Amino acid sequence: MTYNKPIPTRGTHTVPFWEGAKEGKLMLPRCQDCNRVHWYPRFICPHCHSTNLEWVEASGEGKIHTYAVQHLVFGPWEPEAPYVTAYIDLNEGDRMLTVLRGVDPQKPEDIKIGARVKVEFEQANEDTYIPFWRVIEE
Amino acid sequence: MPGQLYKSAAIVGAAEANEIGFLAEPKTSLQLHIEAIKNLSNQTGVPISKIEGVFSTGWSSELCEHLGIKPKYIDTTAVGGCSFEMHVHHAMAAIHSGIIDIALVTHGENGFSARKIGGRGTGNYGRGAGVASPAAEMSMAYGLGSAPSNYAHAMVRHMHRYGTTTEDYAHIAKVTRDWATLNPRAAMYSKEKHPFGGPISVAQVEESRLIAWPLTILHCCMVADHGGAVLIASPKVAAGLNTKPVWLAGAGESMGHANMLEMEDFTATSASRSAEAAYTMAGMGPGEMELAMIYDSFTITAAITAEMLGLAAPGEGHTLWKDGHAAPGGRLPINTNGGGLSFNHSGMYGMPLLIEAYRQLSGTAEDGVHGDVGKQTSAKTCIVNGTGGALSTTGTLVLVADD
Ligand SMILES: [Zn+2]
Repeated sequence: MTYNKPIPTRGTHTVPFWEGAKEGKLMLPRCQDCNRVHWYPRFICPHCHSTNLEWVEASGEGKIHTYAVQHLVFGPWEPEAPYVTAYIDLNEGDRMLTVLRGVDPQKPEDIKIGARVKVEFEQANEDTYIPFWRVIEE
Repeated sequence: MPGQLYKSAAIVGAAEANEIGFLAEPKTSLQLHIEAIKNLSNQTGVPISKIEGVFSTGWSSELCEHLGIKPKYIDTTAVGGCSFEMHVHHAMAAIHSGIIDIALVTHGENGFSARKIGGRGTGNYGRGAGVASPAAEMSMAYGLGSAPSNYAHAMVRHMHRYGTTTEDYAHIAKVTRDWATLNPRAAMYSKEKHPFGGPISVAQVEESRLIAWPLTILHCCMVADHGGAVLIASPKVAAGLNTKPVWLAGAGESMGHANMLEMEDFTATSASRSAEAAYTMAGMGPGEMELAMIYDSFTITAAITAEMLGLAAPGEGHTLWKDGHAAPGGRLPINTNGGGLSFNHSGMYGMPLLIEAYRQLSGTAEDGVHGDVGKQTSAKTCIVNGTGGALSTTGTLVLVADD
């Protein structure tokens, strides 16, 4: 089946992220001076303003920081509504936006802030694998 | 001790476009600007040709060209709905420094008409780096776009942290609608004016259509047409006008993030910082505020902002409405025009906040230009706070009546 959702336009400095995603790896930018990771990818470390940045493979695990259920949706995601969006606190620090999998959008009260989640990648085209996060059954 | 800019300038007039709301015949954003500016000139007696500084989102130069004026000071700050509070801050500085004596802050946005004729007039806000922005690159896959799709995440986190409920916030929508029923210019004034207008109950808010859980449609502001303008003047100029000055006692601005992805604490905004700056400049505190005009893009925005402004303890912002303090007759009236929820909201709501604050403190909330009847309070002080973007940027003003 063809992937019919928006496919991100790549920037000039995010190639390692998308190359990692192809292999199922979650790559994060890390500052070599203060050792902190950050998200989204910058040209400069937002913590200490160093430009000595590298890419490291992350655990691909995190926790739900907060979430919402999208009912009124326009565009390619409309047929999926209602669906759950969430911000994920990465184990390595900082936060990612995602569409959450393994949850019931009709029962939002059952989704738990702090619940553990794991990343998975869906192929969108030859070059692009998009990260989604799934709640881990405890 | 008050700061340097304390009462360095006053708002000396505030006016709106001839018609606002859900216009039957569409108008352009520029048209809404010009109507408001013309009404402002008539109200204050200040000819448009005497305007020395122009403050608006994005397209100030095009406005000046259209008006045929050549200002000495041009500001195009466009960081969302709070831009207009920031414009006032910037105008105070420009007047205090002696560069100008008369500043125009102006707004026109055909949020509703744009559906038919386009040209929203947001002054390029939000376009930013566009597809070249790594924040957009890492967010665009997930279908978030509208404001409620973002703001719902903050409401869920606030509920989680403080144990607040959707019903708590529903009181904000209900009370704000009560104010709108006193204001004939409010889009939701009555059933006659709009099929969904007139009083609403907390249960109705709870049961209305889901937009982005937990936000139902009655937790969300409208998107209508609005144009408005205020005139800011030095004390010297203000003294020579027939309109009442409302003094700018304090001002501050700040930001937390541009993209919600970077929001550190989903239960707090930079309004705590912009308010601290404004209170410090004014030499006043939240306990001395007798009226609050707060950007209520969503009920959750109003609740969090009330907390950030020090009007309620963290987690208790909603109690101002729930316990009736913010309601007509309450000890701290909030959003006396009916708010973005029920009065008007064109996309950027900072201007209607300023206009209503001016009318209330100048005693013209009932009979000023389009002031209309029934909602005048006795307040002599007012805190105004705008929020822009996705709970991103904030601008706060402390206003004081002339007497
Ligand atoms: Zn660093």
